[in-house]
Amino acid sequence: MIYKLSQFRDEVTSIHVLDDDRNFIKSIPFDEANTSYQEYLEWVAEGNEPEPADE
Amino acid sequence: MSSIVIQGDTSGSITVEAPSVAGTHTLTLPKATGNIATDATVGLGTKNLIINGDMRIAQRGTSATGLGNNDTGYHTVDRWQIWENGSPTYEFTQTQDTDVPTGQGFANSLKMACTTADATLSADDAFAFRYKIEGQMLQHLKYGTSNAEQITMSFWVKSNKTGTYIVNPWASSEISKAYTIDSADTWEKKTITFDANTIDTISNNNSTGLTIYMYMLVGTDRTSGTLNTTWSALTTANRAVGQVNLADSTSNYINITGVQLEIGENATPFENRMYSQELAMCQRYYQTISKMAGYSGPTTSGIQCSVAYPIPMRATPTMSQSSVFRFDDAAAGFTQSSTGLILGSTNNTGTLINITNITVNGTFRPHGKANTATLNLDAEL
Repeated sequence: MIYKLSQFRDEVTSIHVLDDDRNFIKSIPFDEANTSYQEYLEWVAEGNEPEPADE
Repeated sequence: MSSIVIQGDTSGSITVEAPSVAGTHTLTLPKATGNIATDATVGLGTKNLIINGDMRIAQRGTSATGLGNNDTGYHTVDRWQIWENGSPTYEFTQTQDTDVPTGQGFANSLKMACTTADATLSADDAFAFRYKIEGQMLQHLKYGTSNAEQITMSFWVKSNKTGTYIVNPWASSEISKAYTIDSADTWEKKTITFDANTIDTISNNNSTGLTIYMYMLVGTDRTSGTLNTTWSALTTANRAVGQVNLADSTSNYINITGVQLEIGENATPFENRMYSQELAMCQRYYQTISKMAGYSGPTTSGIQCSVAYPIPMRATPTMSQSSVFRFDDAAAGFTQSSTGLILGSTNNTGTLINITNITVNGTFRPHGKANTATLNLDAEL
């Protein structure tokens, strides 16, 4: 599973989750009440970093 | 006004009082042994804290196979999650089933059927139905105070695997109670009352306030102690003592339905809510949208869609799609080359999204006709 930041109108607005073949699975908003975002924050807290957004 | 006073064998008494009006009125008591619930013990209004306790809403689908290792999550019926721990080799199929107890008014149950057996569980294995309730839905339980309420859980269950099963509510501390499936392949109604929880204060917000585990199997990590039948700090060894192993044969299955959790020490009849009401309550946590309209500007890629959710959600949802979207106008259809969407401005009531991997320009594109894909919004606990 791959986390990749996603940009909309020059602003990073969400996090994409991609499978190992880089197919889109889901888009996670920056909302601390969202359980997918909570899992992402735990992943970051383990020292991981998402891929940057496409320019 | 006439009355009869029945004196208890200690200091208490109960008074039965006739109305002070003319006429004969008959109060017939039920032909049953049990306790009568009154408005002193049962909250009026929505009494069942469980949404979709009759398993009739299944927005994600009606069957999911191969459930076992790394499959914690929601698969078929709404609000009912499976939870697993360890690295299990067993597998189950989950279905929204039509096998229900006769004459109770239910149309569906939730079934787990073992498809790959594991008769020798690892110590840390565990597998359960898991149900989470928001803290702001639980404030009337007055947990963490001396006025805390008892709660009673009732449900129908059927399995070929008789024996002891454990139900384990967890707030910050936890409690476990056992029930027994007495007869194989027979629907049985079970009622479990849990003590008032004077220990844990539940936050008044949209996060999880109470989690209920209904175990199907556990390894020795959760059975090696003494069953914890009063609210107390989490001790893993005391969580599910006596629990049978539902995965020890591919003949094994369990069905549950009619799950109700209510204030008090009595189980009252299942609260039948309108279908539309139950669906709306589920949509606070998960919903699918199959019709959208969008616009593709002459210099932008993809199609931008503004989506207002039919029901405000618990939190800003995670978004996915079931398959590629197709957008049609009067002249042609346009289909994504692969799935993809980008969130724009978004919250728990609606969103602006850009549907990517599709090439159209400058024309309003209604989303419909041959489209079969759904936008899936997930704000579950």
